[in-house]
Amino acid sequence: MSGQGEWAQKRLPAAGVAVGVILIAGPFLATVVRSLLVWRDDSPHLSLGNFANLFGDARFVSAATNTLVAGVCTTFFSLILGFSLAFLVCRTDMPGRRWLETANLVPFFLSPYVGAISWIYLLAPHGGLLPALVRTHLGISLEWLNIYSVPGVIFVLTLFYTPYVYLFVTPPLREMDASFEDAARVHGASFWYTTRHITLPLVMPAMLSAGLIVFVTSAGLFDVPLALAAPRGIRFMPTEIFAMVQYPSDLGKAAAFGMVVLTVTVMLTLWQRKFLAGRRFDTITGKGYRPRTIKLRLPTKIAALTLEAIYVGGGVVLPLFVLLLVSFSKLWTGRFLWRTATTGNYEYILTKYDLTRTAIANSLFLAVTGATIGVGLAVLQGYYLTRGNPKRRALMETLLSLPLGIPGIILGLGFLIMALHTPLYSTLTIILIAYIARFQPFATRNVTAMFMAINPELEQSARASGATWKQTMRHIVLPLLKPSLIASWLMLFVIFIRELGATILLYAQGTETISVAMVVLSERSSGYVAALAVVQLILLLVAFIAFQITRTPISQRST
Amino acid sequence: MSSVRVQGLTKRFGNHAAVFEVSFDVPTGGTIALLGPSGCGKTTILRCLAGLETPDFGVIDIDGEPVFDHAKGIDLAPERRGLGIVFQSYAVWPHMTVAENVAFPLKVRGMGAAERKDRAARMLELVGLKGFEDRSATLVSGGQQQRIALARALVHEPRLVLFDEALSNLDTRLRQQMRMELRMLQERLGFTAVYVTHDQAEAFGLADTVILMNNGAIEITGPSREVFLHPRSAFAARFFGMNVLEGRLLESQSDPRYLEAELSPRLIVRGVAAPEQDLQPNGRVLACIRKDAVHVFRPERPEDATGTIVAASFLGAEEEYLVEVAGVRIQTIGAAVGLQKGDAVCVTMAADEWVFVR
Repeated sequence: MSGQGEWAQKRLPAAGVAVGVILIAGPFLATVVRSLLVWRDDSPHLSLGNFANLFGDARFVSAATNTLVAGVCTTFFSLILGFSLAFLVCRTDMPGRRWLETANLVPFFLSPYVGAISWIYLLAPHGGLLPALVRTHLGISLEWLNIYSVPGVIFVLTLFYTPYVYLFVTPPLREMDASFEDAARVHGASFWYTTRHITLPLVMPAMLSAGLIVFVTSAGLFDVPLALAAPRGIRFMPTEIFAMVQYPSDLGKAAAFGMVVLTVTVMLTLWQRKFLAGRRFDTITGKGYRPRTIKLRLPTKIAALTLEAIYVGGGVVLPLFVLLLVSFSKLWTGRFLWRTATTGNYEYILTKYDLTRTAIANSLFLAVTGATIGVGLAVLQGYYLTRGNPKRRALMETLLSLPLGIPGIILGLGFLIMALHTPLYSTLTIILIAYIARFQPFATRNVTAMFMAINPELEQSARASGATWKQTMRHIVLPLLKPSLIASWLMLFVIFIRELGATILLYAQGTETISVAMVVLSERSSGYVAALAVVQLILLLVAFIAFQITRTPISQRST
Repeated sequence: MSSVRVQGLTKRFGNHAAVFEVSFDVPTGGTIALLGPSGCGKTTILRCLAGLETPDFGVIDIDGEPVFDHAKGIDLAPERRGLGIVFQSYAVWPHMTVAENVAFPLKVRGMGAAERKDRAARMLELVGLKGFEDRSATLVSGGQQQRIALARALVHEPRLVLFDEALSNLDTRLRQQMRMELRMLQERLGFTAVYVTHDQAEAFGLADTVILMNNGAIEITGPSREVFLHPRSAFAARFFGMNVLEGRLLESQSDPRYLEAELSPRLIVRGVAAPEQDLQPNGRVLACIRKDAVHVFRPERPEDATGTIVAASFLGAEEEYLVEVAGVRIQTIGAAVGLQKGDAVCVTMAADEWVFVR
């Protein structure tokens, strides 16, 4: 008696999940197999030679050490900064907190690669805006402040990863049931005692999971080491893998390195999921009163605003400012001269130069197509994960969330190995597939959360009223999911517009993206790079504004 | 003709049988209430009727048409069973107006917009929501959402309407009002109704026939009044809030109309056996009595007292007491007379109020 509707209900969501699983299993298996193959006499042999080769390489040790040090330090500083900013915005009467609440999030939407090159323009020992200004006006040399260094990488990474912590910590801080803290106060605890012994422990699960995500993703980020470490020969994991794939390439060794990274990230991701499983919604009861706002005294108020000024200044204002200056300069020397100001850079990249014009078109195509496919898959996967076969749900959710921790360059490597001798090699399609594989789980996570908020009885009463599965999806489920579909689409759009790590191994002539074009141009002219970065920024800001406009506060969402 | 016929319905979740070999009939235009504590399987039966769960065994006919038959492999999708349903959460769609919610069953049946609007408006008038058509469905009160859900369940004139704890989320006063209105609406429109509830007042108030469920199986079926007045098991007696006291059935009976049971060496009570009980003389028996059939009052002379108040709680119009009589503790409920803990009282219990079960 199974009608066509029931067939769709069972098969479509399962198909969505199957696509997701293939997208993660494919590159994973390719990397495993390739890491175990060594070519001798023009034929492949199974061997651990790649691993021996890798572990015996001093460059591997230095890359791993630098990556771990930078990851740990970035996590530490992001946690402190993120918690402080979230606390100030959520729990105090700091002036302008409504505006700053959004400003603190802006770096989340910006490209870390652009952030890194902006800080080169700001702080390079020669030709940096800040050292030049300070030398001229204060007579102090800032040349010891070298942005091309491990601390430089940590600094820029911290600016870009603080919003992750901020995003994780804000909901528990804001929505924590006030009675937890009120009970402590009534029973005799001071404000600071309560903060230390009640508030902080309650926020700790959020802090720990944010910390883990920051560690995994910041250590795997290709953009910042490429801009700040590679030019001085400082080795990092992602740049080292990139180097291994370049001529004379050693794919086996790169795959072995990839395996090491995959093992660590998958283990950390699984551990984090296990850790989080029992702790969800600990602090949010959905009832009771909002926590009290703390009144700051004048000195604390000044200190709070200074912290905000440093963060928003360093993460948003200064980089944007210097990018604009460089993009309008004929030649960047650390000073902006009005008489040589020009719009020539923009004219060149937008109208004359094929590489940049192709890159912009490619990026827009990838972002729009990828976000649309990604959200479509997310709906099917979200349906399966909340309404599908209960026995397989948990396993599938774990599998589908794995790509979130895997560095883009590792996934790019997997797809490169897979596509190498196929027609997909050096096409936009393989880049699109890699983007969806790596980032689509973000959309699934969003949409799944929204699915969980929709009472299944809303669908069941539609079915009982006579609607088929497809009609129910169209008239009930999709309209209810709409806020999260829009948010997920915009999020994927933003990520795809600025993506670099997964692209860098897969692009070829004619399939460059904006970020790739910036890397290619970075050796030629800072003016072109800055102008291209501004174009990218405009695209990102349009998406960010759209996100802010369409975002419905959780309190107004109906369930 | 029966509107609903359920035979041998079984539904397992893992190793646990949520519903085990349940059979019952509801006549066309009849009302039935599935009553029982949470986890007894009553909601599972309702969801099987609606097609929202697939049973493991059994047959379900609606209006003579099989909608589920395990042996024949029939399992109609929910939308093909032609039902109406009202959930405890109301499940009013938040992204639609009141009228859009109500007109939805007509829309998916392909009815034109003008006729839809007209019928939805008439149905809204019937449930007392005239003029609410264009409001956002989430901006009305809980009681009004309940009426929207009701209108939506009735608008397409279904043969069978299912109510899953439909009144449980309303406050007491509104619940009583809604119960009356629902009863009148059912009589007027004549649809067959299946109610699922854990509240005995709701079950008795709404349905002609009550099925008391226990642990996935039917405990008792019968007309509401009979089920309540003549509990046939200790489970039923406890569920309806009666005193259930352990005792021993006496061999010799002084009055042939009654049985006698010894609850303590100094307390012997008279009562009748519930139907279909296999009571053995000298055997263990459970003596049940409604709380309101036990009366306590202040004795005229202190030496007439037969019991002592152990606990008293004032409930408003009524008062609840725990009274100790000859070493046995019995709960009573009755008009508030202001007795205090420790008061010596007279206790009376009418003989025909005691029911003996095994």
